[in-house]
Amino acid sequence: MTDELRSDLLEVFRSGVGASLPDPVFNALALRAFQRQFHENPVYGAYCRARGATPASVERWEEVPAVPTRAFKELPLVTGDLDEVERVFRTSGTSRGLQGRGSHHVADLQLYDEALLPNFKAHLLPDLERARILALVPDPQRVPESSLGYMVGRGMAAFGDGKGGFFLELEEGVNAEGFSGAVGRAVEDQVPVLLCGTAFAFVHLLDRSPDGGGLPHLPPGSRVMETGGFKGRSRTVSRDDLYGGLEGLVGVPASRIVNEYGMTELLSQFYEPVLLEGEAGAGASRGLRPPPWVRTRILDPVELTPVSPGEPGLLCHFDLANLRSVCHVLTEDLGEAVGEVDFRVLGRSPGAEPRGCSLATEELLRAHEERR
Amino acid sequence: MKRALDGWSLPGGAPGRGNAELGSAQAGGIADLVIRFPLLESAGTEELLARLHGAWQEVLWARRAEELPEVLGRVGNRFLDPEDSLRREALEWLPASARISPEMAREVLDGMARDWTPERLRLLLRSEFPDPSVLDAFRPADPAGRRMAVGPPVQLHLGSGNVPGVTTTSLIRGLMVKSAVLVKPGSGDLILPLLFRRGLEEEDEKLARALAVLYWPGGGPETEAMESGLLSGVRLVVVYGGDDTVATVGRRLAPGARLVAYPHRWSVAAVARELLSPEHRRRSAEAAARAVALFEQRGCVSPQAILVEEGGRGSAREWARELSYRLDELRETLPPPPSELREAAWVQQVRGAAALQASAGGGGELLEGPGVSWTVFYDPGPVRAEGCLGRTIRVHPVSELDGLISHLTPFLPQLQTVALEAPEGRRGELARLLARGGALRITTLEEMPWPPAWWRHDGAGPLAALIRWVDLEGEGPAGG
Repeated sequence: MTDELRSDLLEVFRSGVGASLPDPVFNALALRAFQRQFHENPVYGAYCRARGATPASVERWEEVPAVPTRAFKELPLVTGDLDEVERVFRTSGTSRGLQGRGSHHVADLQLYDEALLPNFKAHLLPDLERARILALVPDPQRVPESSLGYMVGRGMAAFGDGKGGFFLELEEGVNAEGFSGAVGRAVEDQVPVLLCGTAFAFVHLLDRSPDGGGLPHLPPGSRVMETGGFKGRSRTVSRDDLYGGLEGLVGVPASRIVNEYGMTELLSQFYEPVLLEGEAGAGASRGLRPPPWVRTRILDPVELTPVSPGEPGLLCHFDLANLRSVCHVLTEDLGEAVGEVDFRVLGRSPGAEPRGCSLATEELLRAHEERR
Repeated sequence: MKRALDGWSLPGGAPGRGNAELGSAQAGGIADLVIRFPLLESAGTEELLARLHGAWQEVLWARRAEELPEVLGRVGNRFLDPEDSLRREALEWLPASARISPEMAREVLDGMARDWTPERLRLLLRSEFPDPSVLDAFRPADPAGRRMAVGPPVQLHLGSGNVPGVTTTSLIRGLMVKSAVLVKPGSGDLILPLLFRRGLEEEDEKLARALAVLYWPGGGPETEAMESGLLSGVRLVVVYGGDDTVATVGRRLAPGARLVAYPHRWSVAAVARELLSPEHRRRSAEAAARAVALFEQRGCVSPQAILVEEGGRGSAREWARELSYRLDELRETLPPPPSELREAAWVQQVRGAAALQASAGGGGELLEGPGVSWTVFYDPGPVRAEGCLGRTIRVHPVSELDGLISHLTPFLPQLQTVALEAPEGRRGELARLLARGGALRITTLEEMPWPPAWWRHDGAGPLAALIRWVDLEGEGPAGG
């Protein structure tokens, strides 16, 4: 039996991130996805009915009930047969994590691949067919549950030159020796490098090599993908300091460092269009860009209605790539709009201090910094 | 409009050469309040500690321990007197600085200051030192010799910011064992220690020299030197805070200095089936609603889960609904403060996840107030130590309270208060089970938010924790 909706979505993904998906087309796809999820994900269906939302009553994607990211910690959210789940991705957790780990049961890895690759290519390698990809993220062979590792692994398989690799060890942090050797070979080969890493890994690298550590600068044309999150495991560093440090360490200027924002609960990612749009995307107002098959809203946290332009609120995403789980996801992340479609994730409020006495206040609010 | 608050009140003014440089910090989560504080150089921190040390020698040694509840209590009384300027100023500042509603500010101040009166402080002193003169001189000890209780010259108290009043209680305890006290309140609990010190200056200027209140935002590079100088310059530090804070402070003390830590704690409530009939239900649900709402659930005494025993004349589900009615009433009488983004975000996550859980079957029921004012989740699932904020509470039906401890397993390592609502015949035995299982305080729902001045704070006497005993031997049997 052909799955028309899936075929239509693959076609949208294959059209790439430059294609536009006008609102009526997006809405129609979103409502079809909702219909499927309503009927084939019984728990979600009951949740929607309890909120008075059914395929018959919902006319706009914004009316489709969103599930909170926390729900991914409570139960498997699968649309279709649970037996068809191909991979379970889990959010990273720390020993102090209070709420367990979120799990995204993915029943259609091809849909995931086809959504992530054009986005990855467009934002990280818009000018190159292939690059040397060096990754300071979990190795998907060793940590198959990391969605970040999976994403970079797929990108490496599709667009790498075959000589890249992963240099993040589970316990020890960055494998500095291996990484240094790989950088040296890239310099010898004079091939542009795409260096992908978490802010945490980069800080670790910078801490180990305060004077550059003898690391040569990456060849011309190299670029960096930086994905946020310190996960309470490292000292936190301002973005300016981090990017300045990276420039000093590997010679890639901030204008070629692309911030990526993703979460285990969403199969699509968001990138700052700094390479895609050059100077225009690298200015002070840089924001994260959803691909055309995702719509992001900033919601008032009390009423769950859109905030006025420029106001901070909760990020809420409708991601068509989540067809086999739940598309509409309410996050705990605070953000604000940048222009019409882009958004910025807001950090914690400055001056926030430990609040003791009850465990709840301090730790609960910290928990959502652990994203994937 | 932004308001600025000077976050210090020090004996002899801000020390250091000339005027110390001023820093300022945004009060946590409060957009329109800025707190200024002096940045002390090392000479300044040394001078401050020396002044406090001097007050210990010159003022506190000359006082009898039994005098202290009187004078400290006179200051405490002023926070209860509607005509008094200390109370009026406290009520003016508390809503903005502690992010609570004016109604909550009154309730919290009344509850806290009730324990700062001469009567209550006398009871506290006597509950720990039946002969308080043991703080002044050697007294006969059982079975032989003599013994004296000595507080350190200077204590440093690091308060947390989420429950106003806690830091004032803490500094009073320090003074009562005749130590000078330097207190660093959290930003949300700054105003009461500042006012208390002012009151003390007015009541007893000399004694006020033994108390310093100094706010700074902890852990920043700007204040690192000042913080280190103070932490390493005292022999005893009292710290309230999360596990990380406690561990960090512990690592920075001078060798041999003592740490008295009040780390995170959980509290829960349990209601026996005999008390579920309609006539009892309303009372217990009303008290539970107040316990949930008070301090906006930021206190260690705030309930994190309520267990209700099935099999009575009413069900646990009915009790949960009754609780929701009472929480809704409190929106009027004890309103929550304006929502804070991250807290509201958290409540939405909990509600959504609970609704989905309920949709998955199993009989859960989500009850929620307008906006994010309150949330009750009737949850037949296992009890989880997840914490609650923003008047969010899980009610779990359990078949037998006799197995209470097994339900509370996730809370046990940090369990503090259990409000136990059970008929007298069962209460004693259940309490013994709880005591053996790790609870530190067993009380009623009504009393849950307000442990008395003399409670054994987290399992130990709050005054005894601050002193060392000195034995004087070689004088033959006591009373001989």
